[in-house]
Amino acid sequence: MVNQTERNLYIAQNFTRQLIQKNISPEDVISIHKNAVEQIFPNQMNELQPAYDFLIEVMVHYGMAHREHQSLLQKQAEYEMEMKIATNIQKTLLKTYVPNMKNIDIGMISVPIRKMNGDYVHFFHDGEEYLSVAVTDVVGKGVPAALCMSMVKYGLETLVYAYKDPSYVLEVINRVIEKGVDDSMFVSMFYGCLNVEQNIFSYASAGHEPALHYSAKNDQFFTLEAKGLLLGVLSETNYTFHEIVLEENDLIIMMTDGVTEFRVKEELNSREVITTLIKENRHLSAQQLCQLLYKEIERVQNFKLFDDFTVVILKK
Amino acid sequence: MTYRSSVEIITEWDIVAARQLGRNEAKALGFGTVDQARITTAISELARNIYLYASIGIIAIERVEADTEKKIVVVATDQGPGIKDVRKVMEDGYSTSGGLGAGLPGVKRLMDSLDIQSVVGEGTTIRAEKWLR
Amino acid sequence: MDVTIHFKEIDHKLFGFVEGEIDTFTASGLRDELEAVKITEGLEIELDLSKVNYMDSTGLGIFVAFYKRALRENGKVKLVGLSNRLQRLFEITGLSDLMDIETDKKVELR
Repeated sequence: MVNQTERNLYIAQNFTRQLIQKNISPEDVISIHKNAVEQIFPNQMNELQPAYDFLIEVMVHYGMAHREHQSLLQKQAEYEMEMKIATNIQKTLLKTYVPNMKNIDIGMISVPIRKMNGDYVHFFHDGEEYLSVAVTDVVGKGVPAALCMSMVKYGLETLVYAYKDPSYVLEVINRVIEKGVDDSMFVSMFYGCLNVEQNIFSYASAGHEPALHYSAKNDQFFTLEAKGLLLGVLSETNYTFHEIVLEENDLIIMMTDGVTEFRVKEELNSREVITTLIKENRHLSAQQLCQLLYKEIERVQNFKLFDDFTVVILKK
Repeated sequence: MTYRSSVEIITEWDIVAARQLGRNEAKALGFGTVDQARITTAISELARNIYLYASIGIIAIERVEADTEKKIVVVATDQGPGIKDVRKVMEDGYSTSGGLGAGLPGVKRLMDSLDIQSVVGEGTTIRAEKWLR
Repeated sequence: MDVTIHFKEIDHKLFGFVEGEIDTFTASGLRDELEAVKITEGLEIELDLSKVNYMDSTGLGIFVAFYKRALRENGKVKLVGLSNRLQRLFEITGLSDLMDIETDKKVELR
């Protein structure tokens, strides 16, 4: 005990590592230590004995906490495994199929902030004539949001027969959600339908972030304002739809609030960031624009996003 | 041969008496210092549960000495409210909200086996055993 | 950053002062506090949000749930002191047409 060197202490540290690996509890470690001291200094043991026994008593409880901790860690690993499986199921279940169309260029990006995505995009198309898109955002994140989203998806899928009518789609989905979930759960949705041959884009919104229309002819952005209550708040809600004409090289940009809400830099106008970027790069493909927008907003927010991020761009 | 002795748990100081009894019996049976401390801690936890949740109960200590095996048996009995969901209280982190190590799962780990019988409104009997190896 | 709420009852009217940031992580505390509010028939409740400097859609959900409960139990909820940012959130979601909302006049004058 007198000539304790750093070398000895280092050896002790390595030994400790082995003890931890073998799950030796703290009370056993003290007991080993006590026995060693007893062998080396048998004469001093009379005085030291009670001190060591006291320490062993105390450490028994630490040992209990340590083992519980180990067991909780294992439990956590099991949960993570389940979560991983659930995430994979969700990915398959809520996979968006982006249609490939001749006369309209479609781009999409959707990045979840956590493991499960609370945003969802659904496309309908009927040959080359019509293209509909629903951009949705569930309040909340993670598992509850994902479960609610599955409901929205299946609701949308049953509406194939009516996909050209934005108001009707929102009204039906609203009733589905209102019945199915609790009071604090709801969904925002922007729904648009493009008549490809006549170049008419009709849209309606249920409490969703307004979409943007870039008019190439005017080199200007227009906000597609459409008032409507969030889905799932009141069972009987009506939604009105609006129409615009789409011209050559025009763009429609639909997004969720993860794109427009800057939590850190409140002073920045997100709409301005988006419109400037798109204007400067409007020659790019719809998909490239989506990717670029994601990169730019990630950068503006110091690479720390606070919400699921989804953008859909249609380019004529 | 089985020796049985018991302590009634009414006040907090009876927990100390139960501990003392348990330690003496464990020592007499031949358990080492560390196991004595483990058995005592387990008794302490069981007695404390009685004191906190049932107010009155009994801790009985059995010293079993047969040719083939030697073991200590701790039986905690109370006529308290009972445990509604035994499976739940045996889950780690349930009674302690994580990381205090106390509670019945902790007792089970200190001993070798733990058996719980409980009827809501009638009471609980917990039997914990530890073999001398 | 956390969120807190203090209640004051004046002349049978309940005033709640919310302060802080309401997001997914802080929301559950606020939800519990609002759920604990006993709503009697005809009770008027005014929630002051002027000291809420951030709120995401989860926060919105809490107020909607509270509003719907008040509606069922014949109470009245009014939200006051909303910043421009919060005002916009309630407008986009269509909730400003449904709920009784008053903007923060001081903020508008600035």
